[in-house]
Amino acid sequence: MVATDFHLTAGAGGQVEDVIVARSLEKTYGDVRAVRGIDFTIRRGECFAFLGPNGAGKSSTIRMLSCLSPISGGDLIVLGRKADIGERRIKERLGIVSQDDNVDPDLSLMENLLVYARYFGMPRAEAEQHAEQLLTFMQLEGRSKAAVRELSGGMRRRLVIARALMHRPDILVLDEPTTGLDPQARLLVWGAVQQLKAQGVTIVLTTHYMDEAERLADRLVVMDHGRILQEDAPRPLIERTVGREAVEIWQRDGGDDQAFIAAAEDALLLSDRHGETLVLYAADPGRIGQNFASHGLAPERMLVRPTNLEDVFLTLTGRDLRE
Amino acid sequence: MNGTPGLLRAAAAVWWRDFVAWRKFWRSSILLNFGEPLTNLLALGVGLGAYVAVMQGVSFLQFIAPGLLAVTAMNAVTFDAGFDTYDKLNSSGVYAAMLTSPLTVPEIVLGEYLWEATRAILYGAVFFLVILAFGLVHSWWSLLVPLPLILFGVLFTAPALYVAAVARTHEQLFYYFSLVITPMFMFSGVFFPVAHLPWIVQDIIYILPLYHGVLLTRAMVLGQMTVGMIWQFVWLIAYAAILAYLPVRALARRLTT
Repeated sequence: MVATDFHLTAGAGGQVEDVIVARSLEKTYGDVRAVRGIDFTIRRGECFAFLGPNGAGKSSTIRMLSCLSPISGGDLIVLGRKADIGERRIKERLGIVSQDDNVDPDLSLMENLLVYARYFGMPRAEAEQHAEQLLTFMQLEGRSKAAVRELSGGMRRRLVIARALMHRPDILVLDEPTTGLDPQARLLVWGAVQQLKAQGVTIVLTTHYMDEAERLADRLVVMDHGRILQEDAPRPLIERTVGREAVEIWQRDGGDDQAFIAAAEDALLLSDRHGETLVLYAADPGRIGQNFASHGLAPERMLVRPTNLEDVFLTLTGRDLRE
Repeated sequence: MNGTPGLLRAAAAVWWRDFVAWRKFWRSSILLNFGEPLTNLLALGVGLGAYVAVMQGVSFLQFIAPGLLAVTAMNAVTFDAGFDTYDKLNSSGVYAAMLTSPLTVPEIVLGEYLWEATRAILYGAVFFLVILAFGLVHSWWSLLVPLPLILFGVLFTAPALYVAAVARTHEQLFYYFSLVITPMFMFSGVFFPVAHLPWIVQDIIYILPLYHGVLLTRAMVLGQMTVGMIWQFVWLIAYAAILAYLPVRALARRLTT
């Protein structure tokens, strides 16, 4: 990743400041209540993630705070202003990366960036210089004259991110930024997000990749059915919800869950069954194994691993498929 | 550093986007837009013209040439505003991307009017050169032809944008082309004067904007301008004013949920 110093953000004085505040925020589409009265506060300079299955209300929330979708109820303050559809003084300071890669297919990479800069009234010379920097930053240099139609999915996404940075936004909004990308492209996007954060840009992220949220987010909320279920930093949230250790058990005959659960005794925080697998969660590492040994219990196959956000997610939102 | 542009600069930015996109394909685009009017001019003007000796005191070829200029401009606007807008809304996400910037829907619509007015003048000008080469231009009044064509940029763009915004499939766009645009083309006095038609038909034709455009371009090209022609301008301006806001709400509904 190329080091850059182009992003000079206003107000990066290290002070804690609430840049987005939602109170009892609601979104309805006809009879469908997509967001059902949620509260959250996003601070300047942090990376804040919305996690949840499809239909949880993440994108509706993101679209409202991007001033792209009308607010059905409650309050939403972005950068000190009431968010509302078409509130251009907010949009001037947001960089929005939407789910669909809506780069302009009729334009080259460079033209995409220059045309977009013009929507913000940016002077041409400044836009050209900044566009070069951003193409380098997103590792698209040397392709500035290429047609967008020739780009891979990962390149298109990187171009959308570069475009969202053209006007030097204070807040970068990323709606599922790495969905559909290969591992290399995901790493590149993550690296870019971390660099931007280091430069003081506030990052708002939605994702259903747990590793992405764990790696990038300072704080996150887990949403489902339009509500916020939990809010915290990733590690405290994991330990609070599912402890520090997960023990996965397979038995050829399906096994007797109750025998293992009983044997785990007071080490057990929570148990869960995913199909073939019984998962036992423990606050303290090693204790379930000790308790099994003292009961003379030996599962056919057993995997002991640290807990992660996926455990939290599945525990909180259940295992049923969402359409 | 950044100054969010006002209405005109915002619309100019939208115009610029369309121009940059057009610049890549301008040769094929111009060629595509000339096949039909040129065929009409040659097949009907020269072919049919051999049997229709004189129409309103001029040759048939001479009679239809200025009207076909107006039709060329109308089609250049209509097809671009229809198909291009449909794609910008439904596949490429060009408008959705614009709305992540400070641009608003009215600014986008105004930008499209400016761009389509540019196209009307451009494509009209190329057709003008063709009829000039055929020796069918007879008056300096012709230099005013861009004036009605600028109005075409609103008159024919507004309904096309509206149809593109409400259409659910590409096929539904064709309804507009085949049920509105093509009949208007046939009955707006391009190929024959409407004076001998029944009164009721004449009244309907009088409502069609293309009719007034055709009268104006013909009077300009043939040097038959009269003070009465001011009323044709009044008609076109009034239509443009009435139609201008039509697509704004339809597009806003599509783009903001």
